[in-house]
Amino acid sequence: MSRRTSYAQVASGTGANSHTNSVSARLGGFHHSSNSGAHSHTIPDPRLSFRTYDDPQHNAMSSSLGRGGPLPSYMSGSGYFKDYSVHDDPVSSFFVPSYLRGSKHAEKLQEVHRARMAAQQQYRSTHSSNADSLSTSSSSANLFRMPSSHRGLTHEVVERAPALTEEPIAPWPTRWNETDKFHQMEVEENGRLCKYSGSQKSHDEAASIRSDYSMPRQCGIYYYEVTVISKGKDGMIGVGFSGPKVSLTRIPGWEPDSYAYHGDDGQCFSNTTSGKSYGPKFGTLDVIGCGINFRTNTAFFTKNGHYLDVAFRDLKPNVNYYPTVGMKKQGEMLRANFGQEPFAFDIDKMVQNEKATIQAEINRFKDVASIETDLIHGLIGQYLAHDGYVESARAFAEEVDAESKALANESSPTINYTGTEDDVHAINRQKIRAAILEGDIDKALKHTNLHYANVLRDNENIYFKLRCRKFIEMIRKCSELRSQCHGASDRTPPSKRSTTTAVHTSNSTAKRNSTATEEYDFEMELDEQLGVHNGAPWETPAKGENGQDGGAEGKENQTDEADDTEAQVRDMTDRMIQYGQELRAEFANDQRREVQKALEDTFALIAYEDARESTLAPLLDTAGRVPVAEELNSAILVSLGKSSSAVLERLVQQTEALVNELTEQGGPGAFVNVRKDFLQ
Amino acid sequence: MSSSTVSVSVPTPTQHSFQRKVDEIKVSKSDINFVVMDYLVNEGYPRAAENFAKEANIKLPFEEESIQTRVEIRGAIHAGDIDTAINKINDLNPQILDTDPALHFALLRVQLIELIRNCTSSSTGDITPVLNFASSQLAPRAATNPEFLKDLELAMTLLIFLPSDTLAPELEELIKPTLRREVASKVSEAILTSMGTRGEARMRQLVRLRQWAERKARLAEKDLPPSLPIGLQSEDATNGNSEDIMVQ
Repeated sequence: MSRRTSYAQVASGTGANSHTNSVSARLGGFHHSSNSGAHSHTIPDPRLSFRTYDDPQHNAMSSSLGRGGPLPSYMSGSGYFKDYSVHDDPVSSFFVPSYLRGSKHAEKLQEVHRARMAAQQQYRSTHSSNADSLSTSSSSANLFRMPSSHRGLTHEVVERAPALTEEPIAPWPTRWNETDKFHQMEVEENGRLCKYSGSQKSHDEAASIRSDYSMPRQCGIYYYEVTVISKGKDGMIGVGFSGPKVSLTRIPGWEPDSYAYHGDDGQCFSNTTSGKSYGPKFGTLDVIGCGINFRTNTAFFTKNGHYLDVAFRDLKPNVNYYPTVGMKKQGEMLRANFGQEPFAFDIDKMVQNEKATIQAEINRFKDVASIETDLIHGLIGQYLAHDGYVESARAFAEEVDAESKALANESSPTINYTGTEDDVHAINRQKIRAAILEGDIDKALKHTNLHYANVLRDNENIYFKLRCRKFIEMIRKCSELRSQCHGASDRTPPSKRSTTTAVHTSNSTAKRNSTATEEYDFEMELDEQLGVHNGAPWETPAKGENGQDGGAEGKENQTDEADDTEAQVRDMTDRMIQYGQELRAEFANDQRREVQKALEDTFALIAYEDARESTLAPLLDTAGRVPVAEELNSAILVSLGKSSSAVLERLVQQTEALVNELTEQGGPGAFVNVRKDFLQ
Repeated sequence: MSSSTVSVSVPTPTQHSFQRKVDEIKVSKSDINFVVMDYLVNEGYPRAAENFAKEANIKLPFEEESIQTRVEIRGAIHAGDIDTAINKINDLNPQILDTDPALHFALLRVQLIELIRNCTSSSTGDITPVLNFASSQLAPRAATNPEFLKDLELAMTLLIFLPSDTLAPELEELIKPTLRREVASKVSEAILTSMGTRGEARMRQLVRLRQWAERKARLAEKDLPPSLPIGLQSEDATNGNSEDIMVQ
């Protein structure tokens, strides 16, 4: 990983590197290696050692969040704020129980957590730069402060911002609640261990404790386990759940809204002191699991990894149930696992089965095949036309038409592909989109200004994103040129490129046009704009390896080209930095935090000689072009008085919203993750 | 900056709160593109897939050579040319039909129906080929499975009723092109499954999920608008669901 400071210094006017260490040390809690494989936690807190287990699961989670490049592992770090624990345990860890990985609810909670982390980071960074009063360097310090994983995220987040404004996302239990217990109960080990410390009590009385949060119905199934560290004298231990207001002076199961499995007699109790025989007794070192299936409103227990059957049915749909344990005798001690560690029981499998049940039910909604097919063809045809995939729409209509003809099916409606005026716009939109996807931002800006001048004026944020993207493309270009100079060490062009260039192999008349940045040359034949715009990766891979203006000619002059390339690098770098300064000047007065943040992130790329090999590489990924292109396309559609989203998109929106409705009270929607299970 | 904003706000009388929730859902374009591409490749629209890969700048999923073969097989089944289809399927992988007797039977029955159609519409009306085919190909298979037998008997009754404009619904089903379409898509699914890829396009599951979710939500008496149109103009009323036409 080659880190250079020079460019950063040029851009920021200060020696950024000197601050790096202090800054990262100050923010050590957040500074995680982007690579989960070699994560180094900088908090020397032995209590947190279990985090080493957490990391893989977070990565498994995060990769499910999106396919837009590597995603962060930083959320496994610190700072899950909780109202009551800020003083004594500021760095309680965020975790996802294994059986909830990949679930929609887990994704939502993770987003909340991420937002909190960002807010906390923001808070700290403002405060630290004030304290330091490093006149000019707050932005440059920021260059090094944030782990790349964080950056990789920003674009993804822009594309799918979570709607945090709505009702808060219910968190799952993480520990025993020290403020919701009988006073003779002691809590240790970060809230995981609880023990009875009182004296012998009367026959009826006991000491109970609830967890910090209730079992979220949105999980569909919630499950936790306790290990009996010591059963004391006669193992009068109850494991179960109860409502928030149930008295804690009695063992769970004996009160209304209270349910438990008791160790001394193996009976289970609900709402009353008379139990029913249920399972075996349990004692020291037994692992007892307790789970609720909110879809069926039933509860079950497990012992040492074995399922013990349904214990309670008809749980109330409107009570929030908290994991609850109760004990009676001195020396009794329990350790809870709310998902921080692997479970003894294979709860993952149970959840998988539940998912499969739901999936089968969904599949039974199979319409008559031909109606389904017609609907799908309609959706696809409309989507392709709406979004300006002109050739695809045409080809699809033709293929479907040919299919109908083969069937001689009069009842099947043919997708009438309407040509005419809409086509002109569709072609324009397609051109603009193609330009962005190729990385040729100038071309996209030019076309947009030519055909839809008001769009960029009216959508300042899109304009801003395009400008930022252009900078990123310039850096990409610089990195590529530079690596050519440095010989064959890094000749492989980014793989994604092959598809981009394939589009244009037909167009061999690539022109050079080194003045493209400043003014839009409207005279020029639009399709010849594949020449040297800054950062436009227009070359075929072969050309990319030995400079610009590829082909046989280029190969003959390879050595000259090398010198030329070096000159080009200098030229390119100068222009890139100049552009960066312009960009910064243009938006310097923009007060919006997301704008400043995006600028910071973007400028950070300058710090690297070859950013592609840096931890910031995700920012350079060509995948980042997609959201920009789509946002612009939608804005153009809106400016034309059309719906900004295609029917297919609306169908997905409706589906997600409906599934959300079905998730809220713990219905079957909890077992459906629309995006993960149906769109990937 | 001056702005010449084009107002697109349509007066919406008291929007339902659910509609707001729908609007708040963000959908990623790359997800949509994925579903579309998945369908095009899976269901065999190679030219559309190719164009879409270029225009959307996404990678054409690595596709076995079978896509063209699958398109040909589908075309043959659609055209009622089952002999060709079966030969092509067996060229691709003889296991497919060997291990799926129901599929093989379905194909042969389509072939039988085509034979019946041909002979009943021809001037000579010679039904010998039909009888020969039925007794040599279908009868031995039907003997092993009561379901098959029922299907075979039903198909054979066509001999009596054709040509006719008024057929019983279950007979009508047999001569509709949709039967060939269904069999073709089952074949396609079987081919894909035999190659270890997901048999069915995501899009189909998505459409079902949409229907399922609405049905479930209505059963649970969630607060929904009386109808939830998706706004596809060609949506027809036969859709059973409450989705009707919404002009954009």
